[in-house]
Amino acid sequence: MSATTGQDVGGVRVLWQAAGAEWAKLWSVRSTWWCLAGAFALMVLAAVTLGGASATEALRPAGPSSAAPVPASEAAVSATSFAQFALVALAMLTITAEYASGSIRVTLQAVPVRGVMLAAKALVLAPVMAATGVLSGAAATAAVYALLSLDVFGGLVVLPMGEVVRDLAGVGVYFALIAVLTLGAGAALRSAAGTLTVVFMLLMGLPLLLMMTGSGPAVAMSLRMPLFAGLAFMGSADNMTGGPIPYSAGEGLAWLLAWTAASLATGHAVLRRRDA
Amino acid sequence: MIRLTGLSKRYGDRLALDDLTLDVRPGAVTGFLGPNGAGKSTTMRLILGLDRPTAGAALVGGVPYRRIRNPLRTVGALLDARALHPARTGHAHLVALARSNGIPRKRVGEVLETVGLAGAAHRRAGALSLGMSQRLGIAAALLGDPEVLLFDEPVNGLDPDGVRWVRGLMRSLAGEGRTVFVSSHLMSEMQLTADHLVVIGKGRLIADAPLAEVIAGSSLTAVVVRTPHARELAALLRAAGVEVTRSGENELVTTGAPVERVGDLAYEAGVRLHGLRVREASLEQAYHELTEGDVEYGAGRRGA
Repeated sequence: MSATTGQDVGGVRVLWQAAGAEWAKLWSVRSTWWCLAGAFALMVLAAVTLGGASATEALRPAGPSSAAPVPASEAAVSATSFAQFALVALAMLTITAEYASGSIRVTLQAVPVRGVMLAAKALVLAPVMAATGVLSGAAATAAVYALLSLDVFGGLVVLPMGEVVRDLAGVGVYFALIAVLTLGAGAALRSAAGTLTVVFMLLMGLPLLLMMTGSGPAVAMSLRMPLFAGLAFMGSADNMTGGPIPYSAGEGLAWLLAWTAASLATGHAVLRRRDA
Repeated sequence: MIRLTGLSKRYGDRLALDDLTLDVRPGAVTGFLGPNGAGKSTTMRLILGLDRPTAGAALVGGVPYRRIRNPLRTVGALLDARALHPARTGHAHLVALARSNGIPRKRVGEVLETVGLAGAAHRRAGALSLGMSQRLGIAAALLGDPEVLLFDEPVNGLDPDGVRWVRGLMRSLAGEGRTVFVSSHLMSEMQLTADHLVVIGKGRLIADAPLAEVIAGSSLTAVVVRTPHARELAALLRAAGVEVTRSGENELVTTGAPVERVGDLAYEAGVRLHGLRVREASLEQAYHELTEGDVEYGAGRRGA
C-alpha cells in the first residue's frame, strides 16, 4: 500500500494498532490501578454515606417521603458525583503525564495523526471506565442494600433488578463520557493542574455556583451542565436542589454527549494547531 | 532520504530556522553540527512532524512525516532519552511502541539485546541512568528496522565503551545503506563517525559538505616541508603565492596550496626535500572557524 494518502494513515487498522498501544500503556503504570481502586472505594463509601443519610432522614417522625422504600442503586447513582474524580484523575493522566515527561513526542512519532492518537486514547478509556462504572456501581449497590437491610432501617430498601441494571448501565456510560471529556480537556490544556482545575469547575464548581445564584438563566445553565445532565440521564431523583431536573433522561444524555464532543473537538483542534 | 526545502520555523519573535535547504543521503552518516540554539533540535522536530514549519517543507522518502503509514518502520528517532514515563518499564515502553506500528513483539527482545539492555528491561524508566536511557532510546529508534535514523546527541551520558559502541552502530547502519542523521557537539567523536557534515548557525546553513572537504577547507590545514634549503624554498613559494611560515631551521609550514603543488614547485626548482606531509586541521578547529564566522557566513553559503 502506498503511504501517500491521508486515508491510509487514518485507517481503521491504524486506529486499532494505536489503541492497542494505548491499552498496553494504560496497564503498564501503577497509577492506573490506584485510580481504579480509588474509584471503587469512593463509590462504595459515598453510596453508603448518602444511602444511610437519606434513610435516617426518612426514619424521622417528620421525615419527608415517609418511608417509601428506595432502590439500593439510587445511592450508587448519587455517589458518582464524588467518585468520578478518581476517574477524572486517571483519564487526565493518560495525556498530561505524557506532556509532563515529554513522552508525548514519542507517542506522536509512532502515531503522527493527532486525531488518531486522541481517538485511540478515547477508545481505550471509554470501555475501561464503563466497566469500572458498572462494577463499582454494583459493589456500591450491594453495600447500600446490605446496610439498609439492617433491622434499624427495616423495609426502607429494595432491589428491583430491572431498575438496578438500568442504573448501573447509566453509571457506566456516564463514567465513560466523563473520562473522554477529561481527555479532551487534557489534550487542550496539557498540564495536570490546569486540566484538573478546569474539569473540576466544569463538573462541580460551576454548576453549584450557578445553582446558588438562584437566578433563572443561571439555574437553567447549571442544570444543563454535565453534573445534572448526568444525574438526569442516570434517572436520579436527587438533583441536590430539591427541585426536579426539567427534562428527560434522553435529553440528559444528549447534553452529556454535547459537552464531551465539545471538549474532544477543542482538544483535537489544539493538538493539530500547536507544536508538540 | 531526508529532503528539506526552504525550511523555516519561527517561535514567537525568534527565527529558529531560516530557509534551510539540504538533502541527507542514504548510505552515509551525516553529522549535524552547530552551537547551542543553532536550530538542530528544531530541525529534527520538524522532520518528525512534531512541530509545524512556518515555511518550507521537510520530507522523508518524498512525503511529510505525518503521511507515513507505520512511521516507526520508516524512520527511527531518538530526540530526548529522558522523555519516558518514569513508572513504565523499558520493556513495556517498547511493547507499546511496537503495537502502535504493527511491529512483531519479538523485535522488542531483539533490540533490547542489541543495545545491551536486556538485563535492565524490567526496571522502571525512572530508575535508569542517563546512559541506560540513551540505550533504551536507541532501542526504540531501531525497533521498526527503519531506513532513516535520526539521533539527537546520542552519546550524552554514555561511558567510553558506550560512545565507541554508538560509533560502531552508526557506521554499520550507514553501511547497510540507511540514512543516518546525527547531531552532536563532540567534534572528536564526529570526526570519527561522520562521512558528511551539515553545519548550521543561528538557524542558517553554514556548510553542507563531506567531512574531508570541511577539514581540507580549514585554514589550519597545512603542508609541512622539511628541506635543507628552507630559506630558498620559502622565497620560491612566496613568489608563487603560497603562504609560508618558517617553523624551524629546516622546516616550513605552508597554507593555501595543496601538497601536490608544493611538491611540484620544489621539484621544478630543483630544491632537495627531506619531508613533505599534510598536517590536517582537526574537525574541532575547522568547526570553530566556520561557526566563529557565523555572521560573516550568514549571507553566503559554502559547499554543495
